[in-house]
Amino acid sequence: METFINPKSLFHLLLLPCLLLYSSIAYNSSPVEAAMHTNNWAVLVCTSRFWFNYRHMANTLSLYRTVKRLGIPDERIILMLADDMACNTRNKYPAQVFNNENHRLNLYGDNVEVDYRGYEVTVENFLRVLTGRHETAVPRSKRLLSDEGSHILLYMTGHGGDEFLKFQDSEELQSHDLADAVKQMKEKHRFKELLIMVDTCQAATLFNQLQSPGVLAIGSSMKGENSYSHHLDSDVGVSVVDRFTYYTLAFFERLNIYDNASLSSLFSSYNPSLLMSTAYYRKDLYKRRLEEVPVTNFFGSVMETIHTDAAYKALSRRNSGRFEDEMSLDQSVHHIERRMLIKVNDGYEIHDINPELLQGEEGASKCPWSTFRNKFQKAENVDSLVNYGLVAMIPLLVISTWLVQ
Amino acid sequence: MAEISEAQDSDSSKLLDSDSKAPQRPDSEPEFDPKLMRKSKPGLKRLFLTFSVLFSFLLGFPFLWKSVEIYRFPLPFREIDSLSTQLRSDTLLFPLHFHALFVGFDSDPDRLRRSILSEITKLTSQNPKCSDNYTLSVTVDLGSRCLRGPTSSPHSSSYQCGSVTAAAFVQNDDVAVDERLASVFGGKTKEYSVAVVKGGSERAVVGKYRHAWMVVGDGSDVGMAAVKVAEVLVKVFINGGREEGLIRNEFMPVGADGKIVLSFNLLNADPHDWVYDWDFEKIDDTLLTPMIEALGPVANISVESQVLYHTPKASFSYWNQKLESYVFSTKDLPFFVNSNEWHLDTSIAAGGRSKILQFAVYVPSAKECPLLLQLPNGEISKTNGFISPMWGGVIVWNPQGCLKDSEFKPSAKNIIPIQDLENMFEVFIGQFRQLFGFKSLNVYTNASGDWNLLPSERGLTEWELDVLSWQHTCFNLHSCATTLGSLSRLVQSLPRMIIKDEIGKQVKLSLEAAKLALSNASSGVYESSAASSSQARSLAEDAFFDPSIMSVSYYSFEHCFAVYSPFFLPVSMHVVLAALRELKRYKQEKAKYLAWKAKANTAT
Repeated sequence: METFINPKSLFHLLLLPCLLLYSSIAYNSSPVEAAMHTNNWAVLVCTSRFWFNYRHMANTLSLYRTVKRLGIPDERIILMLADDMACNTRNKYPAQVFNNENHRLNLYGDNVEVDYRGYEVTVENFLRVLTGRHETAVPRSKRLLSDEGSHILLYMTGHGGDEFLKFQDSEELQSHDLADAVKQMKEKHRFKELLIMVDTCQAATLFNQLQSPGVLAIGSSMKGENSYSHHLDSDVGVSVVDRFTYYTLAFFERLNIYDNASLSSLFSSYNPSLLMSTAYYRKDLYKRRLEEVPVTNFFGSVMETIHTDAAYKALSRRNSGRFEDEMSLDQSVHHIERRMLIKVNDGYEIHDINPELLQGEEGASKCPWSTFRNKFQKAENVDSLVNYGLVAMIPLLVISTWLVQ
Repeated sequence: MAEISEAQDSDSSKLLDSDSKAPQRPDSEPEFDPKLMRKSKPGLKRLFLTFSVLFSFLLGFPFLWKSVEIYRFPLPFREIDSLSTQLRSDTLLFPLHFHALFVGFDSDPDRLRRSILSEITKLTSQNPKCSDNYTLSVTVDLGSRCLRGPTSSPHSSSYQCGSVTAAAFVQNDDVAVDERLASVFGGKTKEYSVAVVKGGSERAVVGKYRHAWMVVGDGSDVGMAAVKVAEVLVKVFINGGREEGLIRNEFMPVGADGKIVLSFNLLNADPHDWVYDWDFEKIDDTLLTPMIEALGPVANISVESQVLYHTPKASFSYWNQKLESYVFSTKDLPFFVNSNEWHLDTSIAAGGRSKILQFAVYVPSAKECPLLLQLPNGEISKTNGFISPMWGGVIVWNPQGCLKDSEFKPSAKNIIPIQDLENMFEVFIGQFRQLFGFKSLNVYTNASGDWNLLPSERGLTEWELDVLSWQHTCFNLHSCATTLGSLSRLVQSLPRMIIKDEIGKQVKLSLEAAKLALSNASSGVYESSAASSSQARSLAEDAFFDPSIMSVSYYSFEHCFAVYSPFFLPVSMHVVLAALRELKRYKQEKAKYLAWKAKANTAT
């Protein structure tokens, strides 16, 4: 609101396009683009609640199992499950989830680390995971701690429509929100490459607003198409897997971590007549040729390693026995104390500056009008201000009625 | 409210109508036309009432405006812009001073200076972001007197003539020579010195402080020496002896909050065969603490350790008969780390944006021991370890017990011998240096010959720390500027977003720290500039990642309008219309009265 009255901010608004232009030039020329791929992350999201959406949880858990098998460690997988089918009272097989009617593989077996479950799976939390804006108390395991060398796989499944994906039956993620989050991630160098894989109806529409470079997107269906489930498990009583995910898994079952299959072979493995929808991939933002990108770049984790050719020999020069003698007990205690002190000092430094700043503010606000304004701006006082305003109107009314009589 | 006022309006109009009609009847003047004139003055009461309602509305409007306004701390957008333009336009310059000392030569210092300078400009590759602003002084020591060039250099004056003689370099102990030179050049001054001494066996050494020396043969040429001096100044002191391309300089394994957690893990692959423990506290105190203190300005480092059991590796190894050991090759390295069984990330000590570097000692089980790493050229690795950039390093340590001819019988619980542990941590320090891009070989080879590098007990020499500080300052300041720039763009694009006081304070403090870092950098105080630049970056990151900045939580102005207009539009329409109608009526009535008055005046 202030921007409409404040000429200074109007100036800034005018400046904004220039700044954006500037920054885009700066980013293109920055060498961070050429950064090395160092690690892999996966964000796997199931957005639907309720028993009849069993298959969405099974989809997500299947993908979870696959990326884990191909080498992404648990601490680098953010798993979001909107409902807990394994413990649902209608589940005939308690604590088990299957993605096939042959029941050979229990997806909910051991070592499944669900980071966000049930009502924690919201649009807000999802966007917080992507953009990294968490409360300080949120543990590391629930954060996406990727950097400029990360490849991220973002897999989402649920019920979608034209440019939206439904979360929890109550809210929706719009394509604008997704594009905005991805843009902010790009701006903060939170990924090098991002593969978004969506298995919903009209999945392709969710990618319409994306504009950040380095993003590859694949959806199960085009606009106006539905994504269908693969088959019904008559023992469980509901469909257990979606077609798109089923054929994705079929592709990955043949692979192990040493394999070198390319992304284009994954994309060409989707048969529209089997999917009953057209798999759509958007690659205009992605620079590398898909034939040259192994699937393990996203669905697995192959470490970049460098051999250590030499130890740093400085320490063996000195006689360690002599050094041990020198290192008396109180000295080592001193070390520990100093370490703690360093931390304490850091805290003080910040506090030291704070009062100065505050003083500066107060010094500037000596005149009564600005102190009034400062009080005025405190958000807590708004209610009392309104009350004061109402009280101030009463004398006016009194005077006017008195004049009339 | 509208109904009441309307009712009042109609009542009062009736009243007034009857008022105006009442005096009309007895009046019998022929010219009086009741449609166009009136005799009494029109009353102000109705006008006043409607306008008082309107005014009370208007008075309430600012209060409403204020009550729906959101709190936005005024961020210093202009200062953020100026910081980023400052960093973008003129590159960050670090002032360096070089000093070349020639002992036993008899040549013109100015000519030497010119030839060294031309060599330096040939060698330096300009970094677009940060570069150095170097000055050079040359001293030729003739024993009794010195020739200086330039004569009025403030830096070289600290050097006492004749304090460095060829005799001091005869002894073969490099460390002693290094200490001697440190006392001569003064360990405190930020000056990079190279001493060239004639006479003696050829030798070139870079010390662990900020100087290097070379001893050349009696008949050697000054020009060759100048080339070598320029080379050591640029390649070693400016570039830190690293090669471009291996690990990019942008990959600083330092967390956004300026912290690193070093997590040391001892992995017992199969505890049924043997279990090893280590005396970590001792090694932490003796070896790690000095390095952590040396790196203090660059990063706030903390250390944690753990011992894990049942941690098999994920890759394969095979029996090599010739070596009588199990061998894994460099091809297998990417798959060595078994991320599903190695629970390295304890994530207790580290905050959200700290960097954790994992260092793991892998103790193989009996059925794969001894386990050796074979290099592509068929050799066996000396360190038996490897690193992964931004992740950490792994060492395979083979216990004594697995050698076939060994008498050693592993008991239930063993301690890794202290000698082995020290060797292991030397490799870890080598890996840590590698993660920062430094090499650990003690010889630096380039076109014009070899330089011996003296290692420091602190893990990093003074000049390496300087290089790290510049690089860190440069990276942090640019990162801080782009973060603040993104934040200001984001904040300006969402005019209905609340900006808390904390964000504003963090931005202000970050800008202050960035300015401090800039001024420190330009005055050559590298450590404090690195420290304040990392503070600037971490504060900027804190502000950017504040949890309250979420676009989905805020609504546009249109939304606000849509919420409030159903409340106020119907009422305000009536009030405004009533006021307008009343004003119109009053004007009409007044015109009538004036018309009558004019008539009456002409009549009289």
